[in-house]
Amino acid sequence: MRMVFDLDVEKCVACGACAVSCMDQNDIWPDRGDAPYRRVGVVEPLPKAGDGRLTYLSLGCMHCADAPCIKACPVGCLFKDEQNLTLYDNTRCIGCHSCAMACPFGAPTYGPDGKMRKCDGCAERLKNGLIPACVRNCPTGALSCVPEETYGTAAFDRSLRAIVEHAER
Amino acid sequence: MEEKELERRLAHKIPGADTGIEVKHSFCSICSPSCHCGIDAYVKDGKLLKVEGTQGHPMNDGLLCTKGAANRAYIYRPDRLRTPLKRAGARGEGRFEPISWEEAYDLIAENLLRLRAESGADSVAFFGGYQKWFRWQLARFAYDFGSVNYGTESSACMTANKMAWTTLTGMNAKMDMKNAKLYVAWGGGNHHSHHLAAKKAENFHRNGGKVIVVDPRNTPLAARTADLHIAVRPGTDGLLANAVAGIILRNGWQDQAYIDKYVHGFDDYAAYVTSLDLQEVSRITTVPVEKIEEMARLMGTVKPMSIEASPISLIHQTNGYQTVRAMFSLSVITGNYDTVGGNQPNIETFAHLGAGYATREEEFIEANTPAGFENRVGAKRFPLWADMVHEMQSLDLARQIHEGTPYPIRGLFALGFNYRIFPDSEYFRAALEKLDFFVTADLFMTDTVKYADVVLPTCSSLEREELKVYPGGFAKYYLPAIAPLYESRSDARILQELAERLDLDDALLRSGYRKCLEYVFEPTGYDLDALIASPLPLKAPCMRPYKPHAYIDGGCKTPTGKLELFSERVKTVGAAAGLDPLPRWYAPSYQPTEEYPFQLLAGVRIPNAIHSHLHKVPWTRSLRPEPMADMNPADARALGIAAGDTIRLVSAFGAITVKANPTALMNQGQICMYHGYSEADVNTLLDRNNVDPYSGFAGYKNGICAVEKL
Repeated sequence: MRMVFDLDVEKCVACGACAVSCMDQNDIWPDRGDAPYRRVGVVEPLPKAGDGRLTYLSLGCMHCADAPCIKACPVGCLFKDEQNLTLYDNTRCIGCHSCAMACPFGAPTYGPDGKMRKCDGCAERLKNGLIPACVRNCPTGALSCVPEETYGTAAFDRSLRAIVEHAER
Repeated sequence: MEEKELERRLAHKIPGADTGIEVKHSFCSICSPSCHCGIDAYVKDGKLLKVEGTQGHPMNDGLLCTKGAANRAYIYRPDRLRTPLKRAGARGEGRFEPISWEEAYDLIAENLLRLRAESGADSVAFFGGYQKWFRWQLARFAYDFGSVNYGTESSACMTANKMAWTTLTGMNAKMDMKNAKLYVAWGGGNHHSHHLAAKKAENFHRNGGKVIVVDPRNTPLAARTADLHIAVRPGTDGLLANAVAGIILRNGWQDQAYIDKYVHGFDDYAAYVTSLDLQEVSRITTVPVEKIEEMARLMGTVKPMSIEASPISLIHQTNGYQTVRAMFSLSVITGNYDTVGGNQPNIETFAHLGAGYATREEEFIEANTPAGFENRVGAKRFPLWADMVHEMQSLDLARQIHEGTPYPIRGLFALGFNYRIFPDSEYFRAALEKLDFFVTADLFMTDTVKYADVVLPTCSSLEREELKVYPGGFAKYYLPAIAPLYESRSDARILQELAERLDLDDALLRSGYRKCLEYVFEPTGYDLDALIASPLPLKAPCMRPYKPHAYIDGGCKTPTGKLELFSERVKTVGAAAGLDPLPRWYAPSYQPTEEYPFQLLAGVRIPNAIHSHLHKVPWTRSLRPEPMADMNPADARALGIAAGDTIRLVSAFGAITVKANPTALMNQGQICMYHGYSEADVNTLLDRNNVDPYSGFAGYKNGICAVEKL
């Protein structure tokens, strides 16, 4: 089954429960120099928008359908698995950061050994019928990881609802 | 190949017979007891590997917040106490030598008994802090010892809310949001402090319920759910509530039949609230007149209405008790109290939670209360507190240690104690130096622990057995998911063993946790073994469906038996202290000056911390590594301050150095600074004598400060 990661920015509050759950799952210790696979942030209101609205985001690897990091890697560490997740084997990683430069989301990180690491979509959990750690604990339901077919329907539903809500205002 | 497969499953913590990873049911107790979420603990070889929220749990149904998700890093914090300790250096120095439990108990017994013989039992104070669960046993332990001085950190949290509801109705109250049409989130229900409440609010809003959010900040709750957001000036909420009442009465939106039947003191109250001048109220609260009128229209005409008050932010103003009493009065005049979808009487079930059914906890706690209870710490200074709360008002503890009046406090026995929770925390730190004997139990080597003569290592919720009750009529008896780490012991075991060592005359307490539970839960009809065996919380057999007006029809537990807008209790016990029987608003003591132009709100919640518990947990700390002051971007610009600049917050009482976080979350003129940082303790900026005379609560949200760019 091909899976899609999604963030509903209308629900996210950048509380960081996803980031911490990811650290718990993947044994990431920022105090020992590990870079997190998932981060949260608050974007202050954009002056041009003039609505004083804060935006809350959670960012990790989006497991893009046409992932630029895969093409960027000169030694072929990155690949797609059968679930459409962008996985890697960093045995041959030369630490050139080409993947990081190609990634629009800043997903690839580098460990103390200089080798690339990043979110693997909790591929092994998915194979065992468990959902990814970040999604599992997300207290607002902002993060999701769903089969591609469901995602298409959900996105369409959301568009319909947005139109209705807009009309009501 | 198979070996590699197993390796991969182990690395990804997949539960199963092959990996030996078991999923055990436990719970999180990092936060307040009202938010203790069910946890699925992934355990292998007695070690915790990972946590998730328990699906189907009536509390959190699978979800965990930022704090709860950090349980593994919390439990294995490197500064966990491993053995009992005896102080080897000077107080505060942090030099200790490990001792055995037997030696620790000997030292404690020897010193507590010595102090009792020399200065009387009251000279030893007993304090219960986090993780709060042991309080019912600690209180009884203190009273068995003979001391009237048992107190908790609820001297600064929640209790003033309960006092206000009890003044008005004779009992504490809760919301019935599920059946409401209007939800008023007054300073509470925020995503960053109580994600479960915020989620309920979002669902309520999505299902067409009307929402009023009263909060000076531009929170996600306000932005996403509010039909009306009132960004009231901190400290003026009570005036706003009374003005709203005045408009409701002038328009005849009150439920007059309900008032005639159930309410005492309506005329005095009506005369006061209708006398308020709206223009003046608007000027003081900074809320436009039209918004106040819209708020009154919604609250007066949309029924049923549930009001939620923050258990901290409002009552951390020095007019907090009057403020929340004024708010709750709105529930009464509109006939929303004791109704479906309104606010309902809330029975105190167990361990600071109302679960909808009664136990024998109060009887258990109060059975052995010693004579002279009216002499407990803070009772004379805060007569209304003394009349309503069966504890000392701990706010007065440091003063009594320093001044020795009306009698000396020489010993302190604490389970989970942090002197930094008190305003002007330096004053309490200095008081610890004056104690003859100080023993504390804790999980970690904290700043406070460094002052103790004897230190006992306790364990977390994942390492102990505990029975927890939940709103909606539930309970679950958890067994430890892992054994207590190192040589730590649960607080309940410590109390049992010490009761034995001190030879306290209390067979029940000495019989241990389980037996005490059997006594307390006897009226509930629960089979405790079934509560252990069930993976999820079970409904109480004694639980009865709610009947509207049953409580007020039967006569309220107030002096007049009615809902008292004019409080006869306050009139009787508070007259000498100048307390007002009406919920009359008065301005909190501190207002910004030229020298200190900002309102300082200490301890407004951030998502990755709860008090000081998580400041040293690397996962949560990484989300906000530096102590930061939130301020409005325009205020920051005016002072030439950019995001991340080093700044100093200065008051007449102290100064701290932090980073600036300009954010549109904040209103102009206000600074929010989180508490509990050793290197930047905002409570050192507060006046210890700036307190609410009704509740004794400190003005944590009523500071003033200047901001300097460094």
